[in-house]
Amino acid sequence: MTLDAAFTLTAGRFTLDVAIEAADEIVVLFGASGAGKSLTLRAIAGLVRPDRGHITVDGEVLFDAAAGVDIPVEARRMGYVVQELALFPHLPVWENVAFALAGTRPDRRRRAGVALAALGLEGVADRSPGTLSGGQRQRVALARVLVRDVRLLLLDEPFSALDDAIRRALRLELRRLQRELGRGALFVTHDLREAYLLADRLVVLDAGRVLQAGAPDEIFSRPHSRRVAELLGVRNLYRGRVLATAPDSIEVEIGPLRWRCASWEAGLAVGDAVDVAVRSERVVLRRGDRPAVNGLDATIEAEEAYGANHLLHLRPQVGGPTIEVDMPARPYEVLGVATKKDWLVEIPPADLHVMRATGDVPA
Amino acid sequence: MTLRRPSGITLAVVLLATVFALFFLLPFAGLIWRAIEDPRAREALGDPAVGTALRVSLITTLISVALSLLFGTPVAYLLARRQIPGGAVLDALLDLPIVLPPTVAGVALLTAFGRRGLLGEPIEAFTGLSLPFTMLAVIVAQTFVAAPLYVRAARAGFEAVDPELEAIARTLGASRAHVFRRITIPLARGPLLAGAVLCWARALGELGATLIFAGSLAGRTQTLPLAVIAAFEGGPLGLPGAVALSLVLLAVALLLLGTLRLVAKRGLA
Repeated sequence: MTLDAAFTLTAGRFTLDVAIEAADEIVVLFGASGAGKSLTLRAIAGLVRPDRGHITVDGEVLFDAAAGVDIPVEARRMGYVVQELALFPHLPVWENVAFALAGTRPDRRRRAGVALAALGLEGVADRSPGTLSGGQRQRVALARVLVRDVRLLLLDEPFSALDDAIRRALRLELRRLQRELGRGALFVTHDLREAYLLADRLVVLDAGRVLQAGAPDEIFSRPHSRRVAELLGVRNLYRGRVLATAPDSIEVEIGPLRWRCASWEAGLAVGDAVDVAVRSERVVLRRGDRPAVNGLDATIEAEEAYGANHLLHLRPQVGGPTIEVDMPARPYEVLGVATKKDWLVEIPPADLHVMRATGDVPA
Repeated sequence: MTLRRPSGITLAVVLLATVFALFFLLPFAGLIWRAIEDPRAREALGDPAVGTALRVSLITTLISVALSLLFGTPVAYLLARRQIPGGAVLDALLDLPIVLPPTVAGVALLTAFGRRGLLGEPIEAFTGLSLPFTMLAVIVAQTFVAAPLYVRAARAGFEAVDPELEAIARTLGASRAHVFRRITIPLARGPLLAGAVLCWARALGELGATLIFAGSLAGRTQTLPLAVIAAFEGGPLGLPGAVALSLVLLAVALLLLGTLRLVAKRGLA
């Protein structure tokens, strides 16, 4: 299966302008709510009509504005599952699954039974969807799309309404199913962890546009822009200027601080305005000698504990921006951070990623 | 322990409620009492004229309800999904027959479908057929006043069906028609049935529009309510006949009411 979709559509004041490609893999559409993730799936499913562009699956044109092609929803063979699941409340489970199947009643029932069994659901065929648990309902919704030979799975936050434990189990199961079936899936989520766990390819959407697409590791370690870094949970983002470039690193000035950075976007030159990203888990508090590069003295100004981690806000003693450090409880206790407030901070150059400056810096 | 004495307000409410209940109960009691007390009323029940009026009423109202369902269902659905251009106008227009005095409806129908009417005149010129004073005219009058009640109820019923369910059903490979039959209609079943029963009740009681547009010809356009009027106005059945006819209407009305209650209960389950 190959999907090639590129289209624009306007809904009220919102404009969606996306290009998405997928093969037999899980492509995660990741973004904040309102980014246009669900609208993208609805357009591919055929439930909303783009203004311009095309949607092609395996070379077959499902939609082409210029050529006037618009294959109706029911003929697109998409496995579309939404968070609310939309099970038909008046039909028993098996008729939900067999809803659009042709054939005799016993035959439809048998096929529904096979699909339900493939998802580990037995003995619920005659029950009403309303009597099932959340996880069971979720499986029924998946069985309902997998009972047919669908070309592509379109999954719109299908696990969001479930408990954490069930979500984890279903994610693993989805991975297994996707491999077994050899079908591609577009998976929409705003949950960073879910995105990372499931994605073969990650597409970051924001305000109706694709900001970055690629392998998840690549995007996590090398975001293209400040906004992508923000969406991926980077807490330390600084506006600065390139001081010097070398083959293996570049030097950036951020207020009174000077950092050597080993990860950067191509094409940066001395004097360029840049955004520098450091994940708060990558900042090190040290005892002992001052490191050769990127060491600075800082004071803990504030801290908050959440679950097993501590988030520390450090102010460099020479001035400059606050640095947030995320530290698990164990090193926090071993180092005695609770009582000692002045620290030597080190940021390894490999963990400093430099991007061309975009947008306004939040005050 | 002391019992609290009922307050003045409680007493007043009980009194008002009793008077109100009696006000509604007494006329029915009177009707039944008259039927028991007056042997002529009981005899009139067996009069062929009563059976004829009942037959006219049942035939015309059943066809009127069928027409209301046939034309009203798609309209109600499109109104619910706001898919008709000028839907707001149609919506307002549908309220009109509900609030309009039926006699006005009758006159209006005459000006449209009467022998000198907007559409009636050309139809008669081409086909020689005229609508007024036929059973078809009764059906037209009943449908005109009763169909909007069905459309109202059906529209509300369709609005309560989540469009997302229909959308998902289509992504599963079902045609629009299949989705409508298997998802939309079953999920709106309660309100649809309730609307149909209301529509039938309204058609059954229709008087003013029918009298003006279709007249009161025994065996052809004289429905049960019209037969009651005819009996009162010195017809052969007389007052006992009017009582007998009223009893028949009451029985049918109770049957309808019972059905409505049953439907409402099922709808909740």
